[in-house]
Amino acid sequence: MSRVLVPCHVKGSVALQVGDVRTSQGRPGVLVIDVTFPSVAPFELQEITFKNYYTAFLSIRVRQYTSAHTPAKWVTCLRDYCLMPDPHSEEGAQEYVSLFKHQSPSMTFPKWLSHPVPCEQPALLREGLPDPSRVSSEVQQMWALTEMIRASHTSARIGRFDVDGCYDLNLLSYT
Amino acid sequence: MLQEESDLSLIIAQIVQKLKGSNLYSQLERQAWASLQRPEIKLESLKEDIKEFFKISGWEKKLQNAVYSELSVFPLPSHPAAPPEHLKEPLVYMRKAQGSWEKRILKSLNSMCTELSIPLARKRPVGEQKELLNKWNEMGTDEPDLSLFRPVYAPKDFLEVLINLRNPNYENGDSLSFRTHLGLIQVPLKVKDIPELKECFVELGLNIGQLGIDDSTQVPPELFENEHVRIGQKVLSEQDSAAAQQYIRQGSPTALRAELWALILNISSQPEDVLYYEQLKTNVIQHDLLVDSLIYKDVKLTASNDDYYFVFEDYLYQVLLCFSRDTSVLSHFAFNSASPPKSYIRGKLGLEEYAVFYPPNVAPLCFLYHEPSKLYQIFREMYVRFFFRLHSISSHPSGIVSLCLLFETLLQTYLPQLFYHLREIGAQPLRISFKWMVRAFSGYLATDQLLLLWDRILGYNSLEILAVLAAAVFAFRAVNLMEVTSLAAAEAVLADLSTLKVMPLLQIFLFATVT
Repeated sequence: MSRVLVPCHVKGSVALQVGDVRTSQGRPGVLVIDVTFPSVAPFELQEITFKNYYTAFLSIRVRQYTSAHTPAKWVTCLRDYCLMPDPHSEEGAQEYVSLFKHQSPSMTFPKWLSHPVPCEQPALLREGLPDPSRVSSEVQQMWALTEMIRASHTSARIGRFDVDGCYDLNLLSYT
Repeated sequence: MLQEESDLSLIIAQIVQKLKGSNLYSQLERQAWASLQRPEIKLESLKEDIKEFFKISGWEKKLQNAVYSELSVFPLPSHPAAPPEHLKEPLVYMRKAQGSWEKRILKSLNSMCTELSIPLARKRPVGEQKELLNKWNEMGTDEPDLSLFRPVYAPKDFLEVLINLRNPNYENGDSLSFRTHLGLIQVPLKVKDIPELKECFVELGLNIGQLGIDDSTQVPPELFENEHVRIGQKVLSEQDSAAAQQYIRQGSPTALRAELWALILNISSQPEDVLYYEQLKTNVIQHDLLVDSLIYKDVKLTASNDDYYFVFEDYLYQVLLCFSRDTSVLSHFAFNSASPPKSYIRGKLGLEEYAVFYPPNVAPLCFLYHEPSKLYQIFREMYVRFFFRLHSISSHPSGIVSLCLLFETLLQTYLPQLFYHLREIGAQPLRISFKWMVRAFSGYLATDQLLLLWDRILGYNSLEILAVLAAAVFAFRAVNLMEVTSLAAAEAVLADLSTLKVMPLLQIFLFATVT
C-alpha cells in the first residue's frame, strides 16, 4: 500500500487573544491554523509533516464525522506536544517534524490518529534496542537491492582538481 | 519502535556507504580473501569463520574504530524532508550570515587579486618548480616581498560579525529587562550552565586523578601517575578508539600522546596516506596559489616570532600549503555551515580551497609528530573535526557563537560583579577572550598546558571547554580586574597566560567555586 500526499488547504494563522487585537503590547502566545481537506473521500491519515518556526507546543484537534445522523465532534488528538524543549532558546525552532499514526491501545483517542507522546515519557527505550543481527540482515537486503539497480559507487574522492591540466584562476565567483 | 529502527538502519546504511570507499574496506576484503587459505576457515560456516578470524586478528577492532570515528563526526540523521542546507545549519538567519561573511572574504580576496595583478592560481614554470622542490624543507629561509599582502581579516572583524547576528523572530523589547543580553552576543542559543557542565565534564572532578594536577612533583607518582600510564599503555596495545577517548579525559602522558591522538582520530599511517601527502606536495610544487602568500605572511608574522614555535616554521609551511590544496576537506563542508567558493577555470567550473585558518593551530602539533605526512593527517583531522567550527557561523554547540555565548553567560551568572564592572569601564569581557577561543588558546598558553587542554577537547569531543577555561581565567584574575579602570588596563592584566596551569583552573571553576 503506497502513501500519497493528501491535498489540503492550510488557512492563515489566527491569534487567540482576549481584548483588542490591535494593541502592540501583549503579543498572543497561541495561534490557530485551520487545515481543511477538499476531497470528500475518507482516508487514513498516516503522517503529518511540517517545518517548525518557533512554535514551542503543538495541539491538534480534529473534527470527526462519524455518521450522517450524529453531528460532527471535535476530538483532541495531540495536546501540548513539545517541539522546543526550551522556548527561549533556538533548540528545535526551525526543525522539520513528522507526526505518525501509532498503534495505541488507548480508548480515548480514535485509533487512526497519533497517540500523544509527552516529552517526559521515555518512549524510545521502552522496547529496548533492536536486535543487531536482524537489523544487519535487513540492511544487507537493502544493499543487495541497491547494488542490483546501480553499479556500486563510492563516496571517496579522487582528489584531483585540475581540469584538463589547466589551473589558471583569476577570480572567485560569488554565487 | 519503527521510527527508531528505521533511523538506526539509515545511520548504518550511511556509515557503510562511507566506509565502502575507504582503504579499510579494501584491506578487509583482501584479508577475507587471504584467510580462505587458512585451515580453520570451512566452506559450510564461511561467514562465521571469517568473522571469528577478523576478531582474533584485530581487524574487527580496526573496523570498530572506524565506525566509532564516523559516529563521532557524523551529524544525526535528519528528517527526510529536510534539504541539504538544513543539515549544514538548521537556522536560516545563521546560514544567511555565514553566506554574507563568505561573500565579504571573497570580495576581499578578489580585490587583492586585481589590485596586485596576481592570479588566484597559476601553474609554476619548470624552473620555479625545481627550485621549490630543492628548498622544500627550508621554506622558512625565504624572504619574499610580502609587504603588499594584507591579511584577509583579523579576529576582531569576525567578532564584529558575530556581535551583529540577530534572530529576526526574537523580540527583546526596547526597555532593559532581565531578558536583555548584557553581553555582546545577542542570539538566544542554548548553552550549558555550571551544573550541566559538571555533569558533562564529570571526569574533571575533584576526587578524580588528573594529569596536569596529580602528576606534579609534590605528588608521589604511586598515587595516580604510574597507574594512569599503565592503563594508557594497555589502551594503546588494545588499539581501541573508544577506550582511548574515555582515557584521555584525565589527560595523556607525554610519551603516549602522539599515539593516543592518532588512535582517537583514527589515523593510521598506511603507505597510501604517505602517498596522498606526497601527491599534495606535488600539487604545491606545480601550482602557486594566492592563498600561499597569505599563509606565508601569516606564519611569518605569528609562529616565527613565537618563542616556542619558531623552530617549526618550515613544518608549518609544509603542512599548510598542502592543506590548502586538499579537496578531501571539502567533504566536511556537508555539515559545516560554510561553503567552499567556486571559481571559473576558463569557463569551466572548478573548486578552490579557501584556507582561512590560523597557523598557530598547527604549531603545537609539531611537538608531537615529526614525520610530515603524519603531522599533516593529524592536523587535517583536528581541523575537520573541531577547529573549523571556530571560523564559521553556526548554531552548533561547539561553534564559535555558542562558545562566546557560553563564556558570557558563565561570567554573568557566576561573576556578576566582575562582569558589570568590566562592562562599565568599556571592557566587554568577550572582546578580550575572543582571540583566545578562536585560536583554541594556542599561542597563549604554555605548550604543555595547551596539549593538556587539547587532550580534553578530544576526550569530550567538544570545544565547550575553551569557553569554560576562558571564564576560569577571568575568575582567577578577578581581584586584579576589579581594580582596573580601562580596557587597556584590563587587557594588560590578561595579556600573559603563559604561566597558567589549565587543569587546576578548570577544576576550581567547575567544582570548587561557591555558587
